[in-house]
Amino acid sequence: MHEMPVTQALLNMALEHANGHRITGIYLEVGRLSAIVPESVEVFFDFLSRGTSAEGAELHFEILPVEMTCMDCGRQADLSEWADDQPVVIMQKAFARGCECGSRNLRVTGGVRFGLVSIDVEPESE
Amino acid sequence: MSVNIPVLKEVTTANSLLADSLREGFARQDVLVLNIIASPGAGKTTLLERTIEGLGDELRLSVIEGDPFTSLDSERIVAAGISAVQVNTQGGCHLEARMIQKAVEQMEMSDVDVIVIENVGNLICPTAWDLGEDAKVVVVSLPEGDDKPLKYPMAFLIAQAVVINKIDLEPYLPAEVAILRENALNINPDLAVFEVSALTDQGIDEWLDWVREQLTRKRAASA
Repeated sequence: MHEMPVTQALLNMALEHANGHRITGIYLEVGRLSAIVPESVEVFFDFLSRGTSAEGAELHFEILPVEMTCMDCGRQADLSEWADDQPVVIMQKAFARGCECGSRNLRVTGGVRFGLVSIDVEPESE
Repeated sequence: MSVNIPVLKEVTTANSLLADSLREGFARQDVLVLNIIASPGAGKTTLLERTIEGLGDELRLSVIEGDPFTSLDSERIVAAGISAVQVNTQGGCHLEARMIQKAVEQMEMSDVDVIVIENVGNLICPTAWDLGEDAKVVVVSLPEGDDKPLKYPMAFLIAQAVVINKIDLEPYLPAEVAILRENALNINPDLAVFEVSALTDQGIDEWLDWVREQLTRKRAASA
């Protein structure tokens, strides 16, 4: 439900970058911690984009995993073995295990954003 | 044949840019801004009432009240003796920077030391929208359960402080303050955690000290 305002924001940003050209595709990055549900974005996008030059554009989602980094040695934690767990469970397991260097001083450094990567536009403006 | 145009921005970038310009304005005026995020019923407004009682004599506080429809909370703030600007989101689940910009236009910034923004009661939506604040504070009450941080990690991840409220109810509840604290710190070890009962005043002094310290630090940084 809360995806409506962010979908409006992404539509505004896409239209701005398209500069009047018809948009056929929109590439998005969704962090696993972002609390954004792609299906929900699609529903709102269909509704909000009607009558704009982004109507009918296909949305492409790439889901980004949780990323954690050690604040002491700078190493990024290898969380791949828990990739199927819920994000919070991954965080708990990572904190419990700590970094290879022995530190437990980890922080979440990725997987929190909802980003607009690029748009596909038709070269001829209408 | 279509052409791909890179954008590479967060979806909420337009909001964040406006929030940054608000933040610059607040810094010029030496005003501390706190963004209070919590579920409905966690005790945001009661915590604000205690904060006004505790700091009202030494600091000039002002409140921006976010609420879907009513002005019930801003009436409580005005009754507590300070000015409040009501922002109704017409059902919207969070405040955005443009709403704060409008609210601030109704304030005399040179008469304010601290602005407290009470966001709409919700632990998901407000996390994506920067309001130009210095710190986000999550208020979570014990009756909601000590697993709240695990269910809503984003709120705890982006906050600088957590106020655990209604701790006076602990004897009557299965939830435990210590577990709630531990769960919050497991999401974000940098959190300042306060255990309070806004109703009985228990633990409020530590919270008030933290607010004072944030203002002092901000003013020292700009001096």
